[in-house]
Order: sequence, then C-alpha cells, then structure tokens
Amino acid sequence: MVTKGRRKIWKFTIAAACLICLLAAQSIPAQGADSASSEYLIKAGFIYNFAKLMEWPAPVFPEPNSPIVIAILGTDPFQGTLDNVLRGKQVNGREFVVKHLKWGDDLKGCNIIFVSSSEKAHFDDLFRMIHGLPILTIGDTPGFAERGGIINFVLEDDKVRFEIDVNAAKQARINISSRLLALAKIVPDTASDGRRAQ
Amino acid sequence: MNLKNLSIKAKLMIITMLTSSVALVLLSASFLMYDLLSFRHVLSEDLATQAEIIGYNSAVAMGFKDASAATATLSALKAKEDIVAAVLYSPNGKIFAKYVRADVAHPDLPSDVIQSNGSRFRGSYLEVFHDVSFNGDSVGTLFLQSDMSQWSSRAKRYAGFLLLFMLGSSFLALLIASKLQALISQPILRLEDTMRIVSAKKNYEVRALKFYDDEIGRLIDGFNTMLAEIQQRDSALQSANDELQTRTQELEGEIIHRKKTQEELLSAKRAAEDASRAKSAFLANMSHELRTPLNAIIGYSEMIQEEIEDSGEIQNVKDVQKIESAGKHLLALINDVLDLSKIEAGKMALHVETFDLGTMIQDLASTLQPAVAKNSNAFQLNLSEHLGSMRSDVTKVRQILANLLSNAAKFTDHGTISLEAERTQADGLAWIRLRVRDTGIGITAEQQQNLFKEFAQADVSIARKYGGTGLGLAISHRFAQMMGGNMSVESEPGKGSVFTVYLPAEVTSEPSSTASPKADTEQPAAALKSKSRAETILVIDDDPAVRDLMTRFVTKMGFQVTAASNGEEGIKLARKIRPVVITLDVVMPGVDGWTVLKRLKSDPELAAIPVIMVTIVDNEVTGVNLGASSYLVKPVDRERLAELIERYSGAHMAANPEAVGVGVERTSDTKSKTAKRKDPQSNRSN
Repeated sequence: MVTKGRRKIWKFTIAAACLICLLAAQSIPAQGADSASSEYLIKAGFIYNFAKLMEWPAPVFPEPNSPIVIAILGTDPFQGTLDNVLRGKQVNGREFVVKHLKWGDDLKGCNIIFVSSSEKAHFDDLFRMIHGLPILTIGDTPGFAERGGIINFVLEDDKVRFEIDVNAAKQARINISSRLLALAKIVPDTASDGRRAQ
Repeated sequence: MNLKNLSIKAKLMIITMLTSSVALVLLSASFLMYDLLSFRHVLSEDLATQAEIIGYNSAVAMGFKDASAATATLSALKAKEDIVAAVLYSPNGKIFAKYVRADVAHPDLPSDVIQSNGSRFRGSYLEVFHDVSFNGDSVGTLFLQSDMSQWSSRAKRYAGFLLLFMLGSSFLALLIASKLQALISQPILRLEDTMRIVSAKKNYEVRALKFYDDEIGRLIDGFNTMLAEIQQRDSALQSANDELQTRTQELEGEIIHRKKTQEELLSAKRAAEDASRAKSAFLANMSHELRTPLNAIIGYSEMIQEEIEDSGEIQNVKDVQKIESAGKHLLALINDVLDLSKIEAGKMALHVETFDLGTMIQDLASTLQPAVAKNSNAFQLNLSEHLGSMRSDVTKVRQILANLLSNAAKFTDHGTISLEAERTQADGLAWIRLRVRDTGIGITAEQQQNLFKEFAQADVSIARKYGGTGLGLAISHRFAQMMGGNMSVESEPGKGSVFTVYLPAEVTSEPSSTASPKADTEQPAAALKSKSRAETILVIDDDPAVRDLMTRFVTKMGFQVTAASNGEEGIKLARKIRPVVITLDVVMPGVDGWTVLKRLKSDPELAAIPVIMVTIVDNEVTGVNLGASSYLVKPVDRERLAELIERYSGAHMAANPEAVGVGVERTSDTKSKTAKRKDPQSNRSN
C-alpha cells in the first residue's frame, strides 16, 4: 500500500515536472500569459473532474470503451493544455478525444463542448442548435449559464469556481452527481425561464 | 515482626491469600491486557473506517481544490470526541484543510505526510493516514489523530471493575481460608496446648486429642506414645526415688544410732582411761608406799646381820636372815605383780643396749651359784665360743635367765642343772638360743598348757611345797615376746625339763635410749675393800632411813659421805663439797629428783659428776635422757651399787687395774664375800 502510494506520488511529481517544462516552453513568448495558463490548467483539470461526475444517457456511448469527445469551440484559451491534461486519461474505461472546432462545424457526436468566450455572439444560436442533445456545455464567460449553458467557470477571490444550471442539465438529459452540485453555485430557475422566454 | 515466627494459623492464611491473590492478579492483568490490546485494534480499525468515509466525502472538494468545502467536511468530526485533529494534505504535501478539536490549543501534527495509508500509535495517540482518491485518482492524503479517550476510559472502567472483583473474591477467599485453615491449624494448636500442659505441670497423664488420620494425626500418635513412655519412666524414677529416700532415712537413722553408740563408746573410753590412770597412779603410789618400808626392813636386817657377825653372836644371825629373806620375798612378789601390771598396761619399755652376753651369763651364773647348789645340784655352764655381744634389754634377759635357773634349782634335788647359750641363724637374722635343762620333777603335758599363764603354778600343792608366786615364768614369757623372741618347754614328769628361749641378737623395734658410754661394758664387781679414801659421795634422799643405810653402806666402802634431805640442799652441798659421785632420789618434797638432775647437769662445774639415780620410780629412760649415769630402782641391790660407785669413783681418779680382768674364777672369788647377803631371787639388779 505504502510503496504503491509512494510510486503514485513519484509519478505525479514527474508528470507535474514535465507539465511545468512544457508550459514554460510554450509561455516563453508572452510574459503575461503565465497567470492565464495557470488558470486554464486548473480549468482543464476541472473539466476532467466534471467528466467523472457526469452520467450521459445510455445511447450516447454505443460501446463500453467509446471515447468521451470534447470539443473546444472557438479560440482555444487552453492553448493545448486541455489536450495535454486529458491525454491518456480515462473515466470509466473511456478515453478522451479533444477536438478543436469553430462556429459552423458539425457539433453532433460531441459529448462535452467548451464554448470559448470568442463565440459569445453565437451563444443563443448554439444553444438552440443543440437543444435536447445530451451535450455538456462548459463556458467561462459571465452570463453563460443564464443564457443556456450548463456549467460556467467564475473567478471568486482569484479562485476558480463554477456555477451549474440544473435545469439545462435536465434538458440535456445529463445527470450531475450531487457531490458536484454540493460544490457548485446553482443558477436560479428564473434565469433559465427568462432565457426560455426569449 | 518476623514473618517466619507467625502462628501457623496466620501462615496458612497468608499462604492461601497470597497464592489466590497472585493468581487472581495475574489472571485479571492478562484479561485486561488482552482486552485493551484487542480494543486498540478495534479502535484503529474504526479510525481507519472513519478516515475512509471522511476521505470519500472530501475527495471531490480536494479534486476541485475547494478548501472551504473540505474544511466543512472535516468539521463534521466535531461529533467524534476522541478525534483530536484531522488534516487533508495536497498531493504536494501541503496542508489543504485541517480540523482541530476546540479544546486543543497546540495540536501535535506531523510536519509531513509520512505514509499514504495505514495507522500507528504514537505516544498516547492513534493516528491514521488515508489516501484520498477521486474516481481512481489520488487527490491528497487524510490524517486523523485520536487520543483514544474511549480506550483510556474503557481501561479505567475495566481496571476499576477488576479491582472490585479482586477485592470481593479476596474477601471471599479470606472467609473460606479462615474456615478451612482450622483443618490443619486446629490439631496443631491443640497438640501445642497439650504439650504446654505437659511441660508446665509435669503432668504426663494427659494425651493429645487426635482429629484426623493424616500426617498430623500420626504426629499426635507419636507424641502420645512418647508421653506414655515418659510417664512410665517417670513413675519408675519416682518409685526409685522414693526407695532411695526410704533408704536414706534408714541410713540416717543408722548414722544417728552409730553416732550415739560412738559417743557412748567415747565416754566409756574416757571412763576407762580415767580408771586406768587412777589404777596406774594407785599402783605407782602403792609400789612406793610398799617398797619404802620394805627397803628399811631389808636394809636394816642386812646391817644387823653384819653387826651380829662382827660381834660373834652367831645364833641370832638365822633369825635376822629369816627377816631379810621374808622381806626380799615380799619385795620380789611386789615387783612381779608390778611388772605384770605394767606389761598388761603396755607400759613396760625395753631399754636396749649392747652388752657382752658371755660376760653377762657368767656374772649371773656366779651370782646364782649358791642358790643352785642349795639342793645339792651340779651346775654346768655351756657357752658356745662365738657368742659375741648382744643388743637387747640386758635387764630383761638377765631376769629371764635368773627366773629359769632359780626355777630349775627349786624343782631339782641332787640332780644336774645346765645352761646352754649359742648363736644361730634363722630367717636371715641372728638369734641367741638359751636353754636351761634340769633333771627335776618335770612337768606334765597338762601342766605345760598353763605354764606361761599368770598365777598358774603346775600344781597348788607345789606352791605350798616350793613357794613362789607363779608369776616368774609368765613374766619371762612376756619379756621374750616383747623382745621379738619366744619361749618353749619340753618336759617329761620325773625326768626333768628343758626350757628354750630364742631371742634376736639385735632388738630393732626400739631405738637405743639407754646407751650410756659408761654402761656399755659390764665390768665385774670390784672387791669391796675397806680402804680410806678422800673422795666424798653425796646422798640426796628425803627418806632418813635410806640416808642412814646409804651412809653406812658407802662409809663401809671407804668413802666420805654427806647426805642431803632435799633437792635444794643437795645442790648446795654438791657445789660446796664437789663429790665424786651423787646418788639421787626422785620422789622428794619440794624440788624433785628430775629437777635436781637437770640443774646439776646444766651447771658446768657440776655436770661432770656422775649421778646414780636411786629411786622407786622405774623410769630409767627419763633419767638417762636427763644425764644420769646409772639408774637403780629401790630396794637397791647393794652389790650393784657398790660396783657402780667403785667404777665412777675410779674413773674419776684413775683406771683401776684390778677392774680390767674378766674371768669366771675371779668372779666366783668375789662372790664368796657377798654370797651370804645375796638371795637368789633378787634378780632385779639395776
């Protein structure tokens, strides 16, 4: 048990070290990109964690090992960090596939879509388009959840937190673990009602 | 107090209590240990489970780095009182969230994650590390610390219970032990009581009571057996003691009886001694009183006889001779009786001196010649050549021979009397054998039996015919025995008798006390010659008859005589006239003879004068010891006195050539002049 744990710690440290090296290499051109990349590293981890606590409706994954497809719609704020974080990871025996899409690409077949703030103008079209589809939408734009997104990252006291629109998740037929809900800010129903009224 | 000297009861109790207590304590302790150890295990399992739950609950918060959510999860541990602290560590080891019990100010937390999983006991704490995983990914480590308050409270409760249980069971054990120890201690205590009774009261009749048939029972049996043995011995000893006491009382009675007897005997002895002293005094007195008048009778009859012879009136001589003869007979009789009484009283002493036996016998023979010749008897003297000298009491030897010879002469008529003397050896000693043989009437065997007994003449008729006291032979026999010799007789009636006397040539029983230098040679009596001499003889005597007789007698010898009637006067005269010889009486009023003798001998001017003791007191030893030259007992044998006076006076002047020669013929010559005044029975010559 002990040795196993140690080995895990070792693995983790080595992985972390590699990551830091990579990030350092990538962030050399822009000095101000450091805090941004750290933030998105955390957000990438969060996305991985979200995947653990989600249940998609059964027909979504035809095979037990069908991969979880994640798409980044619009400008990639992760700058490849998400790819790196999810590479080789599995959730319930499913690997991750990361796609980089722009507005107008086919969104069907995606299980999770990170909607970049660059697509702010297309939010409503997007949500209308994927309405009723079992796709988890994640954004980091203020008002994203109110406008129809399921999970939206917010910063509180420089800490990355997130809010969840439970109704949106219900409409997408995605079951979110109560353990996740316990940590999240729940978006009030009025917002979603209002959005639906629009 | 020494534990070893406790009573058996206490020891048994202590042993029981100690044993049971030790067992109980060990058992309880092991129970407690086991329970607490297993409880610790349970606790650690519980804590591990708790860690798992907390870990699960905080895994998502950890995964989303939500410290406040994690802290909230941890604070749920408030419900668990034993949890001191709980910490969530990030994968990089930093504290992510922590909870500390409100009452703990400074929690003792590990600075680092020591292990990802597992529990440990550190000090009083139980600590658990738990790896927090979020859907298979390790997101951190949970640390829980418990102070095991449950465990310690349980331990306290358990210990208290055990203590109570132990106290209770000890009390129960005490009760049981105090009841059961009597099984062992009771018989021993009873035995001890019995023993104390036995030793204190010496009562061996009690017996120890036997309770059970175990070792102590056998011990009691043995004790009782020994007691019975002791009782038996004690009674035996007691009876022996009683017997001893009885015997002792008997002995004491005997001793008292003997003491009484002894006292009676002592008083009887004292009475006897008193009587004996009275008798001796009486005898001495009587002898003095009897001899004094006899002295006078004999002396005067002799003088008268001489005067008649001188005047020529021969016809009266016989009458006077009868008086003298009767007096001398009476004197002899008195002397014999006194001698015998002395012998019987054991007061007859031997005066041992050395003398020439042949000379003595010849002297005696010539003296006795007339008596022997009286009955027309022939006298033969057979002396062996090597007779030599004899060391004995010459007076007593002479008396024995005179007695035997006069007897022989008395009982023989127209026969032969012979005297034989020879020296023999027997038992390594030299003996003198004297034998007197006669051809007289002889003695019957019957008469011989009583011959040496006192007052027993052969026949009463004989006494009438021959006269005599019958004491002569008895005295002679006693004298022979006193000198270590003996006397025997062989005789046949009608043919004659042979008396044999054996005497040792040297009497050793008594030291020589009479050996006076002037008395060791017997000199023949010098012829009495009427010559005129200048020498003076001093006569000291209180009896005027003696003084008169002595004066007459000595004057006839040709000496001057001075007489003193008492001691004082005698000494004065001795100083004044310086006599050649002094005759001294002992019994005198005023100064007695012994004192006079002592004073004479202590005076250097007078010490050389010879002193002849002339006395009735027969104590020659004292006289000689005090310095007397000779000792004559009254009545005085005149011939012997004359001889002594001649010798001492002669010695005083010059050696007398006539006194040197010794011979039988010569003595018989001298006899012719003195024979007529000599009685054969007068054998007391000094």
